[in-house]
Amino acid sequence: MKPPPFAYAAPRSVADATALLRASDGDAKLLAGGQSLLPLLAMRLARPSLLVDLGRIADLDYVREDDGMIAIGAMTTKTAVERSALIRTRQPLLHDATRLIGHPQIRNRGTVGGSMAQADPAAEYPAVAVALGATLRLAGERGERSVDAAAFFPSPFTTALEPSEILTEIRVPMRAAGSGWSVLEIARRHGDFALAGAVVMLGIESGRIASARIVLFGVAPVPVRVSAGEAALLGESPGRPAFEHAAACARDAVSEPLSDPHASAAYRCHLAGVLVGRGLAEAAARAEGSS
Amino acid sequence: MTGGIPKTIADLPTSKARYIGERVPRVEDQMLVSGRAEFIDNATLPGMLHGAILRSPFAHARIVRIDTSRARALPGVFAVVTGEDARATTAPLGTIPDGWGVHCLAVDKARFVGEPVAAVAATSRALAEDALEQIDVEYEPLPAVVDAFEALKPGAPLLLEEKGSNVVLHKQFRWGDVDAAFRDADRVVREKLRWNRLGANPMETFGVIAQWDPSEATLTCRGSYQTQGYMALGISAVLQIPAHKVRVISHPHGGSFGGKGGMRGTCIAAMLSRQADGRPVKWIEDRMEYLVGGAGQAWDRHYEAALALRSDGRFTGLHVTLLDDLGGTPEGAGAISAAKPLASFTGCYTIPVAAYDLTLVLTNKLPTGPYRGMGPPPHNWVLEHLVDTAARELGIDPGEIRRRNFIAKDRFPYEIATGNEYDSGDYEAALDRVLEMSDYRRLREEQAQARAEGRLVGIGLVSTIEPGVFDWNAYAIVGVPMTGVPEGATVSIDLFGKIVVKVGFSLEGQGQYTVAAQLLADYFGVELGDVRVVAQDSLSAPPHFGPGGSRLGVALTGAVLGAAERVKAKLVRAAAHLLQADPGVVVLRDGRLEVPGVPGAEMTVAQVAAVMLTRSDLLPPDLEPSPEATCVWTAPGRTPADADGRAKSYLTAANACHIVRVEIDAETGQVTIDGYWIADDCGVRLNPANVEGMIQGGVAQGVGAALLEEYVYDADGQPLTSTFADYLLPTISDVPIPETAAIVTPSPFTPLGAKGVGEGAMHTTPAAVLCAINDALAPLGVQATETPASPHRLWKLLESARSHAKSNR
Ligand SMILES: Cc1cc2nc3c(=O)[nH]c(=O)nc-3n(C[C@H](O)[C@H](O)[C@H](O)COP(=O)(O)OP(=O)(O)OC[C@H]3O[C@@H](n4cnc5c(N)ncnc54)[C@H](O)[C@@H]3O)c2cc1C
Repeated sequence: MKPPPFAYAAPRSVADATALLRASDGDAKLLAGGQSLLPLLAMRLARPSLLVDLGRIADLDYVREDDGMIAIGAMTTKTAVERSALIRTRQPLLHDATRLIGHPQIRNRGTVGGSMAQADPAAEYPAVAVALGATLRLAGERGERSVDAAAFFPSPFTTALEPSEILTEIRVPMRAAGSGWSVLEIARRHGDFALAGAVVMLGIESGRIASARIVLFGVAPVPVRVSAGEAALLGESPGRPAFEHAAACARDAVSEPLSDPHASAAYRCHLAGVLVGRGLAEAAARAEGSS
Repeated sequence: MTGGIPKTIADLPTSKARYIGERVPRVEDQMLVSGRAEFIDNATLPGMLHGAILRSPFAHARIVRIDTSRARALPGVFAVVTGEDARATTAPLGTIPDGWGVHCLAVDKARFVGEPVAAVAATSRALAEDALEQIDVEYEPLPAVVDAFEALKPGAPLLLEEKGSNVVLHKQFRWGDVDAAFRDADRVVREKLRWNRLGANPMETFGVIAQWDPSEATLTCRGSYQTQGYMALGISAVLQIPAHKVRVISHPHGGSFGGKGGMRGTCIAAMLSRQADGRPVKWIEDRMEYLVGGAGQAWDRHYEAALALRSDGRFTGLHVTLLDDLGGTPEGAGAISAAKPLASFTGCYTIPVAAYDLTLVLTNKLPTGPYRGMGPPPHNWVLEHLVDTAARELGIDPGEIRRRNFIAKDRFPYEIATGNEYDSGDYEAALDRVLEMSDYRRLREEQAQARAEGRLVGIGLVSTIEPGVFDWNAYAIVGVPMTGVPEGATVSIDLFGKIVVKVGFSLEGQGQYTVAAQLLADYFGVELGDVRVVAQDSLSAPPHFGPGGSRLGVALTGAVLGAAERVKAKLVRAAAHLLQADPGVVVLRDGRLEVPGVPGAEMTVAQVAAVMLTRSDLLPPDLEPSPEATCVWTAPGRTPADADGRAKSYLTAANACHIVRVEIDAETGQVTIDGYWIADDCGVRLNPANVEGMIQGGVAQGVGAALLEEYVYDADGQPLTSTFADYLLPTISDVPIPETAAIVTPSPFTPLGAKGVGEGAMHTTPAAVLCAINDALAPLGVQATETPASPHRLWKLLESARSHAKSNR
């Protein structure tokens, strides 16, 4: 469990970092919190010739209000997100999701950018980003670009990042008044990656569901939006019949469910349904409590 | 020697014991919490190299060719060894039963994923791992047999071709007229149960620094050894060097629970050191090696069991059929684990006759090893599950059916059907206590209410025996021929009256050093800090075994007090001479040697010791000038086993009664433990805080066994649980902190009346939690019959119950 030899660089700017990436011809890896990458190195499953440590680049670590959005630097740790008053009050879904990630030791080091770039199918953040309609800002040799979360996670453990691009910022909208949220998951133990998880957002106006978002994680190779369930909810009055129907849509939404010794595909789909049902009830209660 | 050892705390030569029996803070903790204990990976020797082991990626494969030339050519690589070296210079590993051993590095073929195939020593571990990648092994994969039942079939792939079969042992035991008991029974309950592989996971894996001395042809192995003397014998046999030329030094280690193993790793490191001209070679097993190729997997068991009973709920016979899957070879004491249940086969109950149909089989998986409890925990689950099924069928409360069958407290010592003798107990007292603590009646009322609301709430109530103070004779049925397990201690007093006690084991976590210090401080009337416990290596210590089989607390007490008695005898003779008194009237009391009733006729222990060591002219001529003595203790009255394995084996029988409350989420199958109560009787508690630690730790491991832990292999024998992301240990969020109570029934057979409790609640918790789950499931007509009761498995049961209910509608 020792990594094969590699070179190490700790650039001071994003430009220097992208230059290093470009020079290494796809053979370099960015190092953020190391919570996913270091085990891969130790098991010799990743063998980069160069590690480019993002830890010395100033100003990738922030949470701030910017243009009506919450802007989060890629190197912001999960603990910083968890402790951010801005996030807790203006986008509590992100706050709640953060507390489901691993354990405090992992959140102390693991970064927001690392979780997005790692794109683990069972991770909370990609699903939350998709549900919130977050935007990811990437810096590359040809300058900066923005990608919608919905287009950022094409397949498991891969992203829309080009080999010499760096994720610099995640921008999430603030919670709309009168909306409720929920993030629930089933894991074997507290802090484990989810066997199944569901992110739910519900807007309620005059007793009717005016907007709905349902995104599953842990059940499929990438975050799954339950569009049929969302559509079916619109205009309904929040309550069991509508939620049960949406839960049934969630069970059917997964075309390629994951399966492993801890949970079969059938069980995962079942759990997705249970969580969506419970999540909708929780989100509805919050929406009603907040408006 | 047991005659003179004090039988109770009141018999100690002190007017009031200040330490023994008290919650004394542990003397070893300062060293541990300040990070000063020298764990093996912290140790460095001059010129030391680092080893790494190349392991088979196949469950079963012929090794056609190994080319190590590229690895050897790497700068910084000093030794490379393969199975050919092992064949040339070592003997096969010892096995139980004897004669099934393979070499420490695979020769010709590999039998499980993770089996060592080659090894390298280099100037760093990273370089050694780089070198492993330069070794070319050509494998010819063979069909693997992974399932125990498949392995029994004619034509199954054979692990050892020359044996002609994968069956290591197949024996049927009948203790009494079991057929009659089942024929005449009013009712028989039967169950098929599956206990899946799990095992010990100490915080620290195994590690060793092996060093050959070519000049003297000796070998020194420093490492995290649980049982150094026993290991030294094995190393000597495998490496073919006389035992007196092997020195094993046990370093403080981060737990063991039986999982340390270390035989292959030690022998491989030694081979590397020899090839590297005697440079020391450190090999630290990493966690993936531990999980895939270590000594930590245990108890891969298929049970079929039946309990015969009368309509009043009295048990009349027990029949257990066990197919135990030992994995690739019987090198790891898996067979012993199948034999140990004989020591408490019929649990807390008067079951007059019993049968055991035992089959041990090899498959292409990691060899199984010991784990805390060494075999009875699955057996206890089987028995307690049958008892619960019987209670349910007869409509008797689980507490009540147990009460009706308990061995009554006035029937001890009590010989069980399988021949072992329980020393003492009061099982009803423990039951009553735990019923009261848990407010059992209210629990049942709440359960009824929850059921009415459609919630799945269950209450588990089980009562078990923990055999304590292991003896080899308990394992006779799998071919262990010995009786008695010597444990020695040397006690010496210096000229200042300070005390050193030398023992043959190192720190492992249980707190035995504290027990030794407590005993001696009270015995000689000194402060706890005036006693120092010193670990000796395998050549320097008196005969010893060390921790294992819930024995060291009791055995150490025997050895330390025995040695103290002998020191006292010398002090008395010296003092009598100095005080010009008859030795018969001099007594030791509260740290003084005195002639009762004669004012001024007294000396302190320190004064007498100092005279002995510095003024031989003042001593009686035939008294050696040494306030030091050794005692090697072994359990008294042990008998060799008869042909059916009947023996007085484990000296003590501790008892525990657990009640646990669980709730199953009917939609997801997740289990929550929301109440836990324990009454535990391990005789006199030498240090109650130590005992509580043993029980709490056992609860944690028991919860792991019941709900989380399982080593999974796919159909080709590939391990699917090679990291802690997949092998799930309970964490702080999963483990309840039970409410506990002590019942004290002293052992009449042990020094001070203590019983073995080192394996603790591991004997009871798996059964308690699983019985609670099945109590919750009972109204649905389904039962969990496989460990662990994972949410996935429970969900499948719930689904089957739901579809059943639908089709019946
Ligand atoms: C025991 C344990 C439990 C865990 N449980 C969970 C859990 O429940 N849920 C969960 O979501 N995660 C979990 N994780 C993973 C954890 O959240 C990681 O921190 C995260 O996946 C990666 O973040 P990091 O900062 O550590 O990234 P690193 O490990 O340093 O990097 C991960 C990958 O992202 C790339 N990368 C990092 N930053 C950037 C960037 N700015 N631009 C482009 N590429 C980048 C790296 O090159 C690498 O490929 C767990 C980890 C552990 C060890």
